[in-house]
Amino acid sequence: MKEENYIVFDQYLQNGMTFTEKIAFEKQLSEEPEVAADFQNFKEVQAQLENKFTVDAERNAFKENVKSIAGTHFKPNKKVIKLKPWLYLVAASVVLLLGLFVFNANSNPNFEDYNHFETAHFVERGHETTSLKQAEEAYNAKDYLTAIPIFESILKHNKTAEIQYFYGISLLQTNKIQEAEGVFNELKLGSSVFKNKALWGLALIQLKQKEFKVCKEILLTIPSDDENYEQVQDLLNKLD
Amino acid sequence: MANNIIHSDQMYIDGLASNNSAIIQSIYKKFVPKVVSYIRNNSGDEDQARDVIQEVLIVIFNQAKANKLQLTCPFDAYFFLLCKRKWLNELKKSSNKGVTISDEFISTNEPVEELLAQTEIFEEKQQLFDLMFEKLGAKCQEVLKLSFTLKSMEEVAEKLQVTYGYVRKKKSLCTGQLTQWIRENSLFKSFKIK
Repeated sequence: MKEENYIVFDQYLQNGMTFTEKIAFEKQLSEEPEVAADFQNFKEVQAQLENKFTVDAERNAFKENVKSIAGTHFKPNKKVIKLKPWLYLVAASVVLLLGLFVFNANSNPNFEDYNHFETAHFVERGHETTSLKQAEEAYNAKDYLTAIPIFESILKHNKTAEIQYFYGISLLQTNKIQEAEGVFNELKLGSSVFKNKALWGLALIQLKQKEFKVCKEILLTIPSDDENYEQVQDLLNKLD
Repeated sequence: MANNIIHSDQMYIDGLASNNSAIIQSIYKKFVPKVVSYIRNNSGDEDQARDVIQEVLIVIFNQAKANKLQLTCPFDAYFFLLCKRKWLNELKKSSNKGVTISDEFISTNEPVEELLAQTEIFEEKQQLFDLMFEKLGAKCQEVLKLSFTLKSMEEVAEKLQVTYGYVRKKKSLCTGQLTQWIRENSLFKSFKIK
């Protein structure tokens, strides 16, 4: 009974029925829910089989591709180089010597290595609003002490996330740590595009003060789809 | 279901389905680091993260190829939670050891949940299918394989040196056997075949 059904199911799916047979089968499906359910399952398995075999080559190519991309993404960090026994002694002394020089310099990341904030572009050419233009020029010239009061006066009547952000950076650059933290903390809660940038700013505040643990904790809150995530990841790696 | 709007991140799904290296690379660059740090923070290491990620990508590929994957939420959340849940399952399976799990990434977002459930059911069905297929006799496996890779059943018959009628029947019955086993086994599972 079942076996016959399967033969009929397949015939129907392969278009191997005469018109009358087809009508009869469709009538049976509408009248016998159990057969209809069986047919549904059969159809699904047929589709799985088709997928299994027709996509097989593509699937293997995909697996290989993913493997090789993963290979370049996860760079092997534990390289084992076999040495002849006597070489160990030489290697050990070289490592010791190198260590004396390198260890201190290399142990922790440095604020200046990551202190590359973007330049400001507040004003389109030809649309100069004086104070914005002045702030932009002072900021881009790294003349933060001049930029800060201009930012403050702009923020009084026009508080935008962008101006706040560059104001925060200027405060950080001039070691006004607490004020900078305040500005970034406010931005962090907003929904603007400067939200993640503010988190990065907060992380760098900690880095500047060599608070590596806190710095790392803040970095981990930056979502991985952030446009500067490479930088975040790089710093995270150095902090590990 | 009418309001299921496809998310613009569908491009990642389509990119995986077409084995697009640039898309795969950008997934590794943008979304993988978060998964790795999650697994590392939850009793795993980088190698284990690497395996979980590959498995999840293959499941997504398979589902996309079966034309059953329409992203209604950001890829980031979907991908991260799939990896996370796969990892937590592995921990559960492998351990009586005390495991520390930090669970700050609970999703209460409905489209994500629905999509995760779909993918996980797809994966379970796929696993059951693969398992049952392996249970079939060698002859059945061969007939099925040839039926779906050669152009016509006549060619299959010729290749196996049997009659056309025989391969047609054999193919139907083997598919039927597979259908029956899958149905019987899925009764014990938490899901039903539609």
